[in-house]
Amino acid sequence: MDKDDKNQQGQQGINTKVLKQGLCTGCCACVNLCPSIEYYKDKTILVHDCNLEKGRCFTYCPRTPTDFEMLRCALFNPGDMVLEIGAFKGLYMTRAADENIRAGAQHGGTVTALIQLALDQGFIDEAILADQNDQFLPAAQSIVDKDEVSGKSGSKFAVSPTLSVFNRISKTDTGKIGVVATPCQALALAKMKVNPVPEDKMRMEKLRLVLGLFCGWALDWRKLQKLLKEKTGDRKIKGIDILPSKYACMEVYTMDGTIEIPIEEVNTCVRDNCRYCFDMTCEFADISVGAARSPEGWDVDRGWNQVIVRTDLGGQLLALAREKGVLEFKAVPDKNIENLKKASAGKKLTCLINLSEKTGNPDDFIYIDPEDPVVRHIKKLRG
Amino acid sequence: MSSILFENKKDFEALLMGNDAIARGALEAGVNVVTGYPGTPSSEIVEQLANVAGERNLYVEWSVNEKVALEVAAAGSYANLKSLCVMKQVGVNVAADSLLHIAEYGTRGPLVLVSCEDPGALSSTNEGDSRPYAKMMEFPLLEPGDFQEAKDMARWAFELSCDIRNIVMLRSVTRLSHASGNVIMGKLPKSIPEAIFEFSGTPMDQMKGAVLAFPTLVDSLRRRQHEKLSKAVAAFEESPFNTYTGPQKPELLIITSSVCNLYTREALTILNLWDRVGLLKLGTTWPLPSKLLEQHLSVCEKIFIVEEGTPFLEDNIKVMAAEKAKQVGIKTFFGRKDGTLPCVNELNPDLLIKGINHILGTSVQPVLDDYSAEAAQIIAAGVFNRELTFCPGCPHRASFWLIHTALKLDNRSGFLCGDIGCYGLGAGPCGFSTIKILQAMGSGIGMAGGFGKFDRFGMSQSVMAVCGDSTFFHAAMPALVNAVHNQSDMILVVLDNSGTAMTGFQPHPGSPAGAMGSKLPMLDIEKLCRAMDVRVEVSDPFDLKATRQILLEFLEDKGNPRVLILKQPCALSPIRKGRKMYEMAIDADRCLADHCGCNRLCTRVFKCPGLIWDTIKNKIQIDEVLCAGCGVCASICPTGAITAKKVR
Amino acid sequence: MENTLRCDPYNLIIAGVGGQGNVLASRVLGDMMIHQGYTVTIGETFGASQRGGSVMSHLRISARGGFSPQMPKGKANMVVALEPMEAIRVLAVYGNPKVKVLCNTRPIQSVGVICGEQIYPEKKQIIKWIESLSADAKFFDTTKAALNLGNPVFGNIMAMGALSSTGDLPMSLNVFEQVILKKVPAHKVEINLEAYKIGKGMVIA
Repeated sequence: MDKDDKNQQGQQGINTKVLKQGLCTGCCACVNLCPSIEYYKDKTILVHDCNLEKGRCFTYCPRTPTDFEMLRCALFNPGDMVLEIGAFKGLYMTRAADENIRAGAQHGGTVTALIQLALDQGFIDEAILADQNDQFLPAAQSIVDKDEVSGKSGSKFAVSPTLSVFNRISKTDTGKIGVVATPCQALALAKMKVNPVPEDKMRMEKLRLVLGLFCGWALDWRKLQKLLKEKTGDRKIKGIDILPSKYACMEVYTMDGTIEIPIEEVNTCVRDNCRYCFDMTCEFADISVGAARSPEGWDVDRGWNQVIVRTDLGGQLLALAREKGVLEFKAVPDKNIENLKKASAGKKLTCLINLSEKTGNPDDFIYIDPEDPVVRHIKKLRG
Repeated sequence: MSSILFENKKDFEALLMGNDAIARGALEAGVNVVTGYPGTPSSEIVEQLANVAGERNLYVEWSVNEKVALEVAAAGSYANLKSLCVMKQVGVNVAADSLLHIAEYGTRGPLVLVSCEDPGALSSTNEGDSRPYAKMMEFPLLEPGDFQEAKDMARWAFELSCDIRNIVMLRSVTRLSHASGNVIMGKLPKSIPEAIFEFSGTPMDQMKGAVLAFPTLVDSLRRRQHEKLSKAVAAFEESPFNTYTGPQKPELLIITSSVCNLYTREALTILNLWDRVGLLKLGTTWPLPSKLLEQHLSVCEKIFIVEEGTPFLEDNIKVMAAEKAKQVGIKTFFGRKDGTLPCVNELNPDLLIKGINHILGTSVQPVLDDYSAEAAQIIAAGVFNRELTFCPGCPHRASFWLIHTALKLDNRSGFLCGDIGCYGLGAGPCGFSTIKILQAMGSGIGMAGGFGKFDRFGMSQSVMAVCGDSTFFHAAMPALVNAVHNQSDMILVVLDNSGTAMTGFQPHPGSPAGAMGSKLPMLDIEKLCRAMDVRVEVSDPFDLKATRQILLEFLEDKGNPRVLILKQPCALSPIRKGRKMYEMAIDADRCLADHCGCNRLCTRVFKCPGLIWDTIKNKIQIDEVLCAGCGVCASICPTGAITAKKVR
Repeated sequence: MENTLRCDPYNLIIAGVGGQGNVLASRVLGDMMIHQGYTVTIGETFGASQRGGSVMSHLRISARGGFSPQMPKGKANMVVALEPMEAIRVLAVYGNPKVKVLCNTRPIQSVGVICGEQIYPEKKQIIKWIESLSADAKFFDTTKAALNLGNPVFGNIMAMGALSSTGDLPMSLNVFEQVILKKVPAHKVEINLEAYKIGKGMVIA
C-alpha cells in the first residue's frame, strides 16, 4: 500500500477504488453511516465530499481490500472449510411445508419459512429483508412480525439496500437482528462483525443471523427500467420473472399478456460489478439458500431449494425447522455437491480473470489478496 | 434624523455620496417622474428620490426592468414632464431598443438617462461601458468629474435635454456614485407640472404631433436628430464642465473624464508636474466639442487619454485628430490601446503615476521597497482572503443544499443555470458550486430552455435553472414562456425571498408596496406560472424534507418545464432581521465532530457563518451574535447535536 | 478656518468586515470634518463586499480638496481597523513606516476558518505584525465594550471615539453630537454618545 492509498481509506478511497472502478455492488454497507453517502434508485451516491483519511465506508465495503482468510478463521470452524464453496456443514434440499409460502416464492420458499421460524422462535427479534416497489425498485425492510415476512418473498433482480437498513436499525435499541443477504452484503456484514471500529462494537453484537442467498448476478435497475420501457411501452407491468426452466428469457407480465425478453438482452442489464464477484454461494452466511439444481435438469427439482449449513447456528435453525415441520426435506443427489463446487469455482475464476484484466496485472485482483488460499486453489484448478 | 440632502435651502455645503448628488441635481432641475430598476451602483438615486416623493410631488417607481423604466420615463417626457430614468450599465442594454427610438424621435419634457457603471466589476458580472450607445444612437453624453459636478451636471442634463429636445445620458461610475465629497447645494424650484400628451399636430411636429417611428418618417427624424446633436456640440464648446488646468504649452496633454479626473489630478500633484503637464477634463464626451479639442491638440504633441471601460474617448479623439491633422499636426497618442494604461479593470492614482512616468521618463516613487517586502511576507504568512458567503440564515444556502443534493442523487451530471442576484454565489463554495452557467439577468432560464431540447443530440443531463423573484419579473418570464411553448425538459427554481435583496430590498411587481411606499397589488408568481400551464409546486427551502421530495420528483418527471417556487424571506429583510424563528442549542455529547459518521457536516460542508467550530473542544457551537435562527443546521445534523426550539 | 490637521491631506482608512459599520463610521467622521469647514473625499466599496468580505473606506481630509476617492498606495497616515487582520491587509497596500494604527483586537472568522480551510493567526502574532508595519499602534477590544453596551455594532462609533483621542483631527464630542443627531434616530443618540465616550477613553494618547 503506497502513501496515497493510506490517505485514501475513507470516502475518497470509495470513490476512486470502488465507484470509479465500477466495483460498487450496491450492498449499501456504506449508507446510513454518515450523511454524506446516500442510496438512491439503485445507486450509491456521494452527496457531500468527505476528506477523512479513514472511514467506515471504506472499512466495511466488500470491494475494498479484504483479508478473506482472517474473516473465515474468525467466523467459521477451520475444519469445515471447502475451498470452492466456503465453510460447509452439510447440503440439504428443502422447501417450505406451507403451500401458501411456496406459491409466493421463486423456488421452494425456504428463506421465508426460515425467517418466519427465526422470528417466531426468538432466534432473532427483527429481520431485515429485501423488498421492492411497484416499479421493481429494490428496497429493504425490517420486520418484527413473522406474518409480514411472506409478502416480501419472490424474485428480486436488483440488489436491495438491505445494509442501509441494517445500519439504521442496529443503531436503535433493537434486539437480535437477522439479515437476508446477498454474497456481497454477507461479506460486508462479516467485515463489520469481525473488525468493527470501536464505536460500532455494540451495534454489531446485535447481528445474530445471516441468511445468505446464492447469487449469480444482479440487474442494474436503471438499465432494466429502460429495457422494460422499450419492450412494453406504456403497458402496466404486473410482474417479471426468469423461470429456472426457461433461463433463456425474462417473462414480463402485463395487463395485455406476457412479453418475453431474450436473456441476451437481459444480460446487458447485469450490473458491471457482478463480473468481479468472487462468491456464488454466499460464503459468509450462517446458512445459504439457492435454487435446487439436479444433474438431471431443472424440472426435476423445480420448486425446491438447496441449503448449505455453514455454522452451528445455521445448523440449529435448520434442525429446528425440521423438528417444527416448517420445511420439507428431500434427499440430495450425489452429484449436487460437485456441481455446486464446479459452478462456484467457475464464478471465482471468471472474477479473477476479469479483475486481472481490469488491472492489467495477472496478480492484482484489487480487493482480493493473490496469496489467499482460495485464490491459489482456483489458479491451480485453472492450471 | 432627517436627510440634509433634501433641505430646501440654497448654498449650504454637505458631504454627499455621488448618487445622492445626482438625486439632488435632479431635484434642483425640478424632476417629476423617476423610474429605474435596482442595480449596484445605481440604486440609491431612485431610493433617495422615492423618500421625498411625497413632499416634492414626484412619481417614483421601481419598474419591472430597465426597458419598461425607460418607457415610463419617456411617457413622462411625452406628457411634458421632467423625467429621470436610472439604471446600472447592463440595464442600458435591456433598454436599448426603446432608447434607439426615443433618441430618433426626440423628447418633449426633458428626459435624462443615468447609467451608473462599474469599471473593475466591483459588484457586477461585467465591465460594460454604455458610452458607445451615445455615439451609436446619437444623443448627448455627460460624465461628471467630481461630486459637485455630479449634482450640477445632473441638473444641467435636464436643461440640455429641454434645449435640444432629446434624451441626455449622464454616466457615473462606482467610484463616483458610491464615493462621497463636498457638494454645495442649489435651490429647489417650485414646479407645478401639467401633464398632457398632445397629438393634434403633424407627425413632424415634435411638441404636438403623434409620436411615430414610421419608415417614411425616418429620414426626416434622423435629420432632425442630427440638428439636435449640432446644437449640443455648440453648447459643449462653451460648457464650464470642460476644464483645462496646466501651462499654455504643456509637454504632455492629458485628456480625461469622469472619476479619472480625480486620479489624474492626484498623480500630477504627487509627481509635482503641474508646470509641465496640462489636464483637459471633459464633462461632455459625446458629441465631442471639436473646436475646444482642436485648440488644445494643436499646442501639444503628446496626448495621453485616460479613461476606464472601452477606449471610447481615445478612438473618437484619434478620429478627430486625423480629420484635423492639417490644423493640429501629427500627434503621438498614449492610453489604454498602447499599454500605457492597462486595457482592462478600473484605474487609480498609482496606475496614472506609472503611466505618466512611462511617457515622461519621470521617476517612480510610491512605496518603499523594504516596507512592501515585509508586508508581503506577513500577508503570505497569515492573511487570508475572505471568501464571500451567504448571510447566516440565508434561504439560498438551504436552497442550494437541496438542489445540490437532488442533482447528485439524480446522478445524470445534472447542472444548474444561474442568474443575477445574491444567489449567483451559488457558483461558489457557499452554494456547493451548484451553478455552472452564470451570465446575464434571465439568461439562465433561457439557456436551460435550450439545453432541455437537446435530447435528440444525445444530451441526457438534467437541466435546472434558478432565478430570484425580482429577476422572475424582470427577464425570466419571456424565457419561461419560451421553454413552456417549446416543451423544454427543464426545471426552474424561483428563489423567492420577497424583494430585490442584493441591492437593498427594493420592491418589485410581487411586492405589496411600491417605491413610494403606497400599497400596490402583488403579482403572484405561482398563479402566473399556473397560467402558463406548467407543473408548479411551492415549498419552504427550510423544510428540507418536503422540498427535497419535490425536487426529486421533478427530476423524474420528464418532458415539460416544471417550476418550484421556494419561498422564504431574505435573512436581512425587515420581516426577518433580528427575529429568530428558532432558538438553537447544542448537545455537545451528541456531536460527532470530525469523526467518521459526520466529519463536521455543519461547519465543513454547510458552512453557515452562524456556526463556530471550537477547535479546542472539537465541538460545534452556535454564534449567538450571528445566528439568525433559521433552524436548518438542526435539520442536517445527523445526530441531533444541534437542536432547534421554536421561538414563541 | 484654522487648519488643525496633523498633515494635509490627512489620509485615513477605516477597515473591517462587511456588517461592522464601516460606512456609518466614515460618514460620521466625514460629516464632522465638513461641519468644521474641511473638504472630504470618501471612497468606499459596497455591494458584494457586504457578504462577509473585506471592506474599507478611504478618507481624504483636507483644507483644499479635489482628492481621489482611491488613496494612492503607501499614503495612509492612519488606519482604523475594526478587525485586526483587516489592518494588515490595508497596511500592506496603503501603509508606510510612519503610519499610525488604531485596532480592535477581536477577530471575525472567515468562512474558511469555520470550515477548517483557513487558520486565524494568534492574537499575539497579529499584534506583532501590525506593530512592525506601523510607527505607532494602539489596540483595544471595542467589540467587548460594545457588547457591554448591548450590540457589537457600536464598535464603529467607539473606534471613532478612540480616533478623537489621538488629536490628529478636530473631533470634539460636541461636533460628534451635532453630526450623530442627523444620522441616527433620536432614541439612539444617547447610546452613540456613550459609545463615542467609551472609545475616547480607550486610548491613552
